[in-house]
Amino acid sequence: MKLAPLILIEFAAFLLIIGETYAFFEFVILFGGIPHSFSTFTIATVARVTLTAGLGVLWFVVMIGLTRLYVRSKLRSLTPKPSS
Amino acid sequence: MVPALDLAALLSLSFFVPLVFLLVSFPPFLRLLVRKGRVSIDVHKGPAFKVPEPAGPLLFAGVLVGEIVVFLATGSLVPVAVTLGAGVAFAIGLVDDLYVLGGRTKPLLLILAGLAFAGVILLKPDLYTPVLFFPLIESTSPHFIVYTVLAIIAFPVVSNAFNMMDSFNGEISWFTLLTSLALFVGVALRSIFTGFSVIRIETILPLVAASVVFLVYNRYPSKAFDGDSGALMFGAMFAGLAVIGGVEIAAIIAIVPAILNSFYTLSSVRGFVERRRIKSRPTYVGEDGKLYASTEPSAPNTLIRLILLAGPLGEKDLVDNIVVLTAFSCLLSVAVSVLTWVY
Repeated sequence: MKLAPLILIEFAAFLLIIGETYAFFEFVILFGGIPHSFSTFTIATVARVTLTAGLGVLWFVVMIGLTRLYVRSKLRSLTPKPSS
Repeated sequence: MVPALDLAALLSLSFFVPLVFLLVSFPPFLRLLVRKGRVSIDVHKGPAFKVPEPAGPLLFAGVLVGEIVVFLATGSLVPVAVTLGAGVAFAIGLVDDLYVLGGRTKPLLLILAGLAFAGVILLKPDLYTPVLFFPLIESTSPHFIVYTVLAIIAFPVVSNAFNMMDSFNGEISWFTLLTSLALFVGVALRSIFTGFSVIRIETILPLVAASVVFLVYNRYPSKAFDGDSGALMFGAMFAGLAVIGGVEIAAIIAIVPAILNSFYTLSSVRGFVERRRIKSRPTYVGEDGKLYASTEPSAPNTLIRLILLAGPLGEKDLVDNIVVLTAFSCLLSVAVSVLTWVY
């Protein structure tokens, strides 16, 4: 049972990996379709890079958030409470 | 080529030849390492505990023997591509074992392993399919350039992730065995239900055999350490096998504990830093011989520290916890494979 929180974090990572990889290959790469001019090519490229970075940031924020929550709760339980 | 060999014989050969080779060669190789003074202190036990290192050259020889068997039996370039990638990673790891490479140099050099692997596609255009298969939903559209770039990047990423799972007795050997079995199940299901080439299954078996034998010597208390040459080779081989097997998603899921471990370490120490240069340790050994999580705020958040935050553990119990986490991710990986190929 001690590992339950870490298994939950692992499961969250599993869901994010599946969802984000599918989103990247099916939506981000194809975003904007086939560009017909330099300006649409530039806009589509910038949009794809931004969306890719967005997926990366989403992974980072969720994983760091869950881990900080876990570390904070564990460190709090390790800190001796002052006796009243 | 030996066309008369049936499938069962080929599968048996690609597993048992490297297995027997390694079982026979390990004891004399370890004696040779000791004779040459190639021993490392087991830091979690004390200066009196010295362990032969690196066993990587023998492990690579073992998988090489297995892949040669597959090549001779099938004439396919698939085992050649996997061995090339693994071989380059092994060579980089061996240089690191002997001379210590910088924290940034190693990942950069490991791109060469990905390039060596992907280069074989010039000779064998169907080496991999630039498509990802997902459970329950349809596969993605083919994206050759993006897929190939990601496949090349996978080599340094996965090799380093494996290397970072090589800190405790039995950790890397258990991890490699469980993840390679998950990979084997994924490719086997794909072959059974879609008629995918069985050569890809045979190519995985030498890795499974090498990790089985290495577990015998690396489990607690370790009688052999693989060194960076072994860990990087295991990682590169795993990456190559995932790509040629077309089971990338299942493979990524299987190594989630290593991905999390690398992610935590890199985000805590802010970049690639050689582990010997990290000042604040994530864990420490107490007077009772158990491992404790550092309560220092600046300590890197490795997976080990997160496990130990739940309470101090002996080295063997800690590795048992890592095995549980890895087994869970491998079960998820198998579930992904079943949902992808069976339904």
